[in-house]
Amino acid sequence: MSPVIPLLLVLGLATVGWLVARARARIFRRARPGGRLDSRPQYHAWFVALCAGLPAGLFALAWSAFSPGLVVMRVLQAPAAAALPAEGILRDAILAEAGALATRHATGAFHPLARTLVPAFEQAIAHYAQVGLAVTLLLGFATGTWAFLRLRPDFRARTQVERMIMAALLLASLAAILTTFGIFASLLAETWRFFRFVPPGDFLFGNHWSPDPMADVGPVATDSYGALPLFWGTFAIGVVIAMLVAIPLGLMSAIHLTQYASPALRRWVKPMLEMLAGVPTVVYGYFAALTVAPAVRRLGEALGLANPSSESALAAGLVMGIMIIPFVSSMADDAIAAVPAEMRDGSLALGATRFETIHRVLIPAALPGIVAGIMLAISRAIGETMIVVMAAGATARLTANPFESMTTVTFQIVAMLTGEGSFDHPATLSAFALGMVLFLVTLALNFVALRVVLRFRQAYD
Amino acid sequence: MTERASTDAGAADGDRAARRLKARYAAERRFRALGLAAIACSVAALLFLLVTMIGNGMSGFRRTELRVPVDFARAGLRVEPARLGAIDALPALRQAGLSQVLGQAAAASLGPDGAAELDPDAWREVARAIIADPGLLQRRVVLSLPASDNLAAAQRGDGQRRLRPLATRLAAQGKLVRAWDPGFLTRADSTHAQSVGIWGALKGSLLTMAVTMALAFPIGVLAAVYLEEYAPRNRWTDLIEVSISNLAAVPSIIFGLLGLALFVGLFPSWRSAPLIGGMTLALMTMPVIVISARAAIGAVPPSARDAALAIGASRIQVVFHHVLPLAMPGIMTGTIIGMARALGETAPLLMIGMRAFVATPPAGLTAPASVLPVQIFLWSDEIDRGFVERTSATIIVLLLFLLAMNGLAIHLRNRFEKRL
Repeated sequence: MSPVIPLLLVLGLATVGWLVARARARIFRRARPGGRLDSRPQYHAWFVALCAGLPAGLFALAWSAFSPGLVVMRVLQAPAAAALPAEGILRDAILAEAGALATRHATGAFHPLARTLVPAFEQAIAHYAQVGLAVTLLLGFATGTWAFLRLRPDFRARTQVERMIMAALLLASLAAILTTFGIFASLLAETWRFFRFVPPGDFLFGNHWSPDPMADVGPVATDSYGALPLFWGTFAIGVVIAMLVAIPLGLMSAIHLTQYASPALRRWVKPMLEMLAGVPTVVYGYFAALTVAPAVRRLGEALGLANPSSESALAAGLVMGIMIIPFVSSMADDAIAAVPAEMRDGSLALGATRFETIHRVLIPAALPGIVAGIMLAISRAIGETMIVVMAAGATARLTANPFESMTTVTFQIVAMLTGEGSFDHPATLSAFALGMVLFLVTLALNFVALRVVLRFRQAYD
Repeated sequence: MTERASTDAGAADGDRAARRLKARYAAERRFRALGLAAIACSVAALLFLLVTMIGNGMSGFRRTELRVPVDFARAGLRVEPARLGAIDALPALRQAGLSQVLGQAAAASLGPDGAAELDPDAWREVARAIIADPGLLQRRVVLSLPASDNLAAAQRGDGQRRLRPLATRLAAQGKLVRAWDPGFLTRADSTHAQSVGIWGALKGSLLTMAVTMALAFPIGVLAAVYLEEYAPRNRWTDLIEVSISNLAAVPSIIFGLLGLALFVGLFPSWRSAPLIGGMTLALMTMPVIVISARAAIGAVPPSARDAALAIGASRIQVVFHHVLPLAMPGIMTGTIIGMARALGETAPLLMIGMRAFVATPPAGLTAPASVLPVQIFLWSDEIDRGFVERTSATIIVLLLFLLAMNGLAIHLRNRFEKRL
């Protein structure tokens, strides 16, 4: 149900409250001998408008989110609903069609039953729309009147309004904690359900991964939920191959740009590196699948491999490394820039060449920052999804050959959740367990890295 | 004797020193060249990627069309004008026999084998044109209709061998052409590469971004104001700061899992709707906005605050009347960068089910929709060569949007740096 009309009415109500309250405050001001109120009339106006608008507006939003459920419940009690099949996918489909017909979102229906339900739907929707509108308006009117009656010449309207603003600020800053908590709670709940099917030991240390989302839920083959090959694939692609590309290129680019490059070169190269960071991952994935993977396959053939697969860990890792370059380079840039200029100047003054200064002074001094940057880069690489989904392959195997396809944690999360499997199936739940592992590992990496960066900054401040 | 030995030794020393100096300078040059090579590699990778996409994608803005003359006045298509204005005009035209009319016209002009290679969805385009201009039904027009993917492949010289003579014949008659396809930007997804369009996905992206912006911007800015201006230093504030900096680095797919478990769990009927997608992306974008907004607010000189406080403004007035307007360009820069990241994000939207085949542009925030990056992902699975071009063309459109957003962000940043 669209909340637009109730919200517009609430807005109108708040505007009326605003105007009336301001008029009232002006009358107060004229009646007063000194002509001064405790707060300016605008604050009286805002106080009444917020009191009238906020609760009613929130109610209208909540009503539009939850009234469809009420509508369906009421339709199910109608006589026409007696002919519906028992609870299941078919019934849901018929109800959805009837709802679409009743709201004019569709013109035809596959199920003849859907047409018979339309009057019941229309009646229920109209009923709940009226109820919602009435409650919204009553609520807004009640809170608005209450606020209006509180207005006095010495009423501290500004303090009240500012208190509301402060509450909004506090609520907004709590959103971050709530999100973190929400991630943790939802992952934990589903992981817990998964571990009732598959013991944690088998999941973390088993070396055979082949869940079947279509199999019966019954007794689960726990030996097909061993995630070790996924962890290995993630490590090989995200940590080994990607970092072999990203660390040398990123680090050397940063050093050259900060220590050697002319301002003109820097002005050209920096935006290009930023562009590299701004390319969406799905574009990298498409690039990996379309261009890099066939090239890697040809390379494998040229090296005399029997039949290199068209999806390889090497292709995904290479492209991922390219994606990470700007990340490593900007972190290294910051770390090197944080080293005090005196250290650099001292070394140069002693007669060291610039290479020796960089090699013996700058890099050792900036090392904590660089390592922290690399840790952040690793955490980004192992959480990267689209490149591996499009280029790395689905076969879980423990192999050291980069020309073979490997699969990663993120790939399997996508594979398990985009199928048609039910939400109670261990294969679906395993995605959340994998997500939990990924979340904890990246959290640990980020936490340590941020700590190191902080300590490092303090050391030179 | 000793003197001579020492000069010898000195000469030898000098020699060794000169050699060592040479080696040291050589190392210096090598290192410098290595750095330049690293930069060249990175830039080359970027250029190679862009050139590949542009090379593949420019032909994606064209399509293979059949030119078919149709005389609607004589075809006897009976549709009441009133029905053309109704929302079921498309089915009405289909019932009136639009596709048969097109089939007959194609058979008359291209021959039966040519008519068989008309895209089965071609009537939809004609129907939309008729709805836009009902006067078409009284005229004789030459329509440009999408050819089938097989015929398009044959015209390129690959695909099925049996169609190649037909393609050559029609092309020689000027009835089969490869033409610019402005409709690519106004149609929605389809199963045939010649009749797909990206407006559906683009509209889905715009709706999703609107939701993300409406949620993440106010919450992010308000949170930044609180943390930077009012928050007391205590354990709670530390916890908020730690969770914000961690959220900014959590993999995006984890936000998808949260969106699936929380939002899709709460509102199952809005699965794959822009509303849910926007809410999920808002959780991801909010920390980015908080971090950049805090930096921008922190860069406002304290003198501005002190001056406002000194003439009697309250602490709220100081922030909302003085600090925020000064910090706004910086906040907008961070917001645009965060939104650009959200616009290119795919994985979390796959998680919440935005991967369905959606053949009509979404009607509203709660209708099933696709977004540009997911459309790229879905088309990348198609084997047909036509889809490769279309995918690359979509990537070009997406990159242009991102380029525009980033350009705007850089422009704002430059103005901001000049002013403070």
